[in-house]
Amino acid sequence: MSLLAFRDVDSFYGRAQVLRGVSFEIGAGERVAILGRNGVGKTTVVNTFLGIASLGKGEITLAGKPSGRIRNYTAARAGISVVPQGRRIIGALSVKENLVLGSAVDRKGSWTLERVFNLFPILRERQDTSGTALSGGQQQMLAIGRALMANPALLVLDEPSEGLAPVIIDELADVFVRLAGEGTSLLLIEQHISLVRRVAQTYHMLSKGAVVESGTLAELTDEQLKRHVAV
Amino acid sequence: MLIHVLNGLVYGGLLYLVAVGLVLIFGLRQVVNFAHGSLFMLGAYVAYATIAIAGFWIGLLAAAIVLALLGLLLDRTVFRQLQDQDPIVTVLVTFGLLLVLEDFVRTVWGRDNLTVAVPQLLQGTVDIAGASFPIYRLFVIAAAAVIGAGLTIWLKTSRVGLYVRAFAADPVTTGMQGVDTERVSASVVAVGAGLAGLSGAIASPLLALSPAMGGSILIESFIVVVVGGFGSFSGAFVAALVIGQLQNFGIVFVPSIASMVPFLLMMAILIYRPEGLAGKAS
Ligand SMILES: Nc1ncnc2c1ncn2[C@@H]1O[C@H](COP(=O)(O)OP(=O)(O)OP(=O)(O)O)[C@@H](O)[C@H]1O
Ligand SMILES: [Mg+2]
Repeated sequence: MSLLAFRDVDSFYGRAQVLRGVSFEIGAGERVAILGRNGVGKTTVVNTFLGIASLGKGEITLAGKPSGRIRNYTAARAGISVVPQGRRIIGALSVKENLVLGSAVDRKGSWTLERVFNLFPILRERQDTSGTALSGGQQQMLAIGRALMANPALLVLDEPSEGLAPVIIDELADVFVRLAGEGTSLLLIEQHISLVRRVAQTYHMLSKGAVVESGTLAELTDEQLKRHVAV
Repeated sequence: MLIHVLNGLVYGGLLYLVAVGLVLIFGLRQVVNFAHGSLFMLGAYVAYATIAIAGFWIGLLAAAIVLALLGLLLDRTVFRQLQDQDPIVTVLVTFGLLLVLEDFVRTVWGRDNLTVAVPQLLQGTVDIAGASFPIYRLFVIAAAAVIGAGLTIWLKTSRVGLYVRAFAADPVTTGMQGVDTERVSASVVAVGAGLAGLSGAIASPLLALSPAMGGSILIESFIVVVVGGFGSFSGAFVAALVIGQLQNFGIVFVPSIASMVPFLLMMAILIYRPEGLAGKAS
């Protein structure tokens, strides 16, 4: 089943157009990467199905159904959880409260507070401190834990490696591979190409708001990467 | 002396209940509600009308419920539309709303002052440290404390309370977790308006009811919100108690400048500590 599909999507902030005719599809169990330089519109793909950027022409389907008018809760209720760029941890809430916030959609599944704490024990230890008192890596774990609390069918990761030390990125990569192994689909937006190669199977290359190339990561050459991504 | 402190608590408690509604509506809708004092006034009138038919306690309940429902209606028709508007627009619209509500009350109940009797159960006085103090005033202090504590517990421990705090801090992130933020905002505006109505009803036996009675409580609760640090619940709590005391001791000891004291405090806070009493220094 298709979890998320864009068909010929144009997307805008106010009157400024960012996405131009973007199409892609993510099915159950797939691990897809979106690649591209800074500012090409990768985050805007996410913002469009979250209703933050507005959909012009085109169609978005969530969990196989046309999105209709996108509300702020539409994607979450369709089983799509986002780990946003910059993590967006809420400092006014404790670590535990940030996690509980993630379970707002009340979807059935195996993820509970206890399981998230087992996955990232540091979060259990620091559950009562403010969410933003954590280090960058810990905040990323919190953002991932918060997204898992919704028991998503599709987990969207927007530049999860940004600002993190290589050892932490490796640790997160292990987590992503494990999640994929358990059947969670992944949409990975990344510029850290070795992370992408470990986690994703297929990719779409964005340039100036349009998909310019798609394929499997096995076929993606360094030559192509150099053309579209700063390495 | 103790009597003055208690009187300060009566006023501070009522101020807190009104100010906390302003904080809630500002926190979730980014709307500074100039009509908030009118909701207090309307609560007193709804209580007046209901008490005549059904007694005091039903009157309090009716004021809270009617004003909460009005809050829902206002949220849908006014506040939601205003949330992304220029602050000057929200000021003008909610000020207009204030005038409309005052006119409405004037049309229905007339411009003469009305009074509400203290309920039988709470009439009389008690001796406190050698002076007599009205039982009803003690009830007001207790009611404000219970309602304030209930609100705090609701915000800190309930799921909706969690959404409210999250939304006030970061609406976009809260929305993407699947929280129906429109619904949360609407219920919070209803709670804020209901509290204003309830405090108007509770205050009604202490005040002469007139369509303009919302004016001074509005201004003083604005001062509370500013002094407390815009958007802070605990700050508003401390500020309401401080201003209640200042107001009361001012009237007792320096009557000629008493009404200025809260304004002076607000100006001092804005100039020397603009983040408010509870805010973090930046
Ligand atoms: N909220 C917004 N309002 C208006 N314009 C925006 C907004 N967010 C992004 N943009 C603009 O849209 C374009 C695409 O931005 P986007 O964030 O999607 O890029 P990106 O590929 O995610 O970049 P990065 O790798 O730096 O995260 C940029 O020109 C950016 O300035
Ligand atoms: Mg981005």
